[in-house]
Amino acid sequence: MKEKTKTKIMGISTMCFFIAGITLNHFNIGVNFPVFSSLGNWLIYAGFVELIMVAARLTLGKKLKRETDERMEFVATKALRITFLSFIALAFVIMIIDGIKTITMPYSIFVSYLVCFMLVIYFISYRVLLRFY
Amino acid sequence: MKMKLKINRLKKFRERCGMTQEKLAERAGVTRQTIISIENNRYVPSLPLALKFAKIFKCRVEDIFKT
Repeated sequence: MKEKTKTKIMGISTMCFFIAGITLNHFNIGVNFPVFSSLGNWLIYAGFVELIMVAARLTLGKKLKRETDERMEFVATKALRITFLSFIALAFVIMIIDGIKTITMPYSIFVSYLVCFMLVIYFISYRVLLRFY
Repeated sequence: MKMKLKINRLKKFRERCGMTQEKLAERAGVTRQTIISIENNRYVPSLPLALKFAKIFKCRVEDIFKT
């Protein structure tokens, strides 16, 4: 996919986030949501993050473009496999921990931690594998 | 099982052509790190990349790599 098309798609989805967020807030749908008080506020926040990314793409352009090649893709695939396997292993560990002592953490926070864990595992495994290939 | 190349003459061909790793990487459309990995037999290049090398050095793929 071309860079311009990617930026266009990102711009359109940013608009969708803003419109959906404002609409939900206007009709009071999805209130009492964690951290940002409503689902609409969450969507507006996500829209702003994407807006920053679009602005960076438009202003910095080629500076942001990273050089990738087949070796990096190969390593990335391997790192993804490791991340997936560690995710399965973690699922078993969580089941055991939950059996010993019930996890009372809210789902949203739990999933956030899980995503952060996976990102860290992916980043570490990618960096380590780059040294071996 | 991890595939290994028995013969890898990429470095020899590169030096014969008087090319730097940077120059070869630029012509093959990969990073310099990839050239280093291939020369050190740590990474086996894909068929399109091997064909690119063959085209750059004006030889057959079998002349550069052999399994």
